[in-house]
Amino acid sequence: MFTDKIELKDFDKMDPEYKELLGHVLTIQADCEIGGPHLYVETMLPAAPTKLDQLIVARTAAEEIDHFRKIARVAGDIGVDVSFVLSQPNQQRFVDTFRGLITTWEDNAVFGFLIDRVGRYQLEEFYDCSYLPLQRILPDIVTEELGHIEYGYNKTLELVQSGDEEKAKAQKVVDYWYVRALDMFGHTGSKRSERYRYWGLKRRSNEQARQDYMNEVGPILTQMGLKIPDPNQGRRYL
Amino acid sequence: MPQTAPNTEKLDEHLLEVVRALHGAVKQGVSHKDERKIMETAIKDCKEILDVIMEGNVQEWLN
Repeated sequence: MFTDKIELKDFDKMDPEYKELLGHVLTIQADCEIGGPHLYVETMLPAAPTKLDQLIVARTAAEEIDHFRKIARVAGDIGVDVSFVLSQPNQQRFVDTFRGLITTWEDNAVFGFLIDRVGRYQLEEFYDCSYLPLQRILPDIVTEELGHIEYGYNKTLELVQSGDEEKAKAQKVVDYWYVRALDMFGHTGSKRSERYRYWGLKRRSNEQARQDYMNEVGPILTQMGLKIPDPNQGRRYL
Repeated sequence: MPQTAPNTEKLDEHLLEVVRALHGAVKQGVSHKDERKIMETAIKDCKEILDVIMEGNVQEWLN
């Protein structure tokens, strides 16, 4: 197991596998950061229920663009150009969850509540990671993601508390996004995930991170009065 | 030291300006939330900025 801490100046001396994995994970992370706004800006900025909500959609997008910027800088400094993801069609995003379009306010709320939470998990994988320039940008990014999650949670809770019809709608939307959230952690027993851990770039296996997520989200859903969706129904990556 | 990817610094600077402009517009709107016209202008400004970013035409931004 690799336990050293690497600075930019040390990067050239690293094993080719380390370089490849770091470049790959930064590209995916950059794609996910900008993939969010591409799902909801066009549809939700004009359609959010109040003007204040419209501005919060814009602020969320601004924060995600800034996260992209920070990741792109770390990637660019090691020679990896991730700018192509800025113009990538949604259908070509690395992660399936970002390949569609958010068209309802309910989806937008639950997306923040469940999918931005996966984003937080992905970022937390890099806590104490071996590449210090990546580790340094995390605290501010994670703080902003926590804000997105809280906003999504509050808006979802508002729906749940708005009557039976709205609650049923919220449940349906949670059912849709929950399995997508679980799929975002990737395949159980992934060999690539094992190499990330070997090189100190990630902390947990895909299945461990997914289980931690389920352990966190389950009680929250129950407390909100929602049912925990079947974690195996509709899954693509088990 | 590794060779930096082309346009890394320029893109970083450009996006930082974009993010600052967006936050400025949001702040202007949120701090006048009882003034409909100011809110609408702020939303319009955000939309204009975000439309350009969503288009993703990096070469155009940097030239």
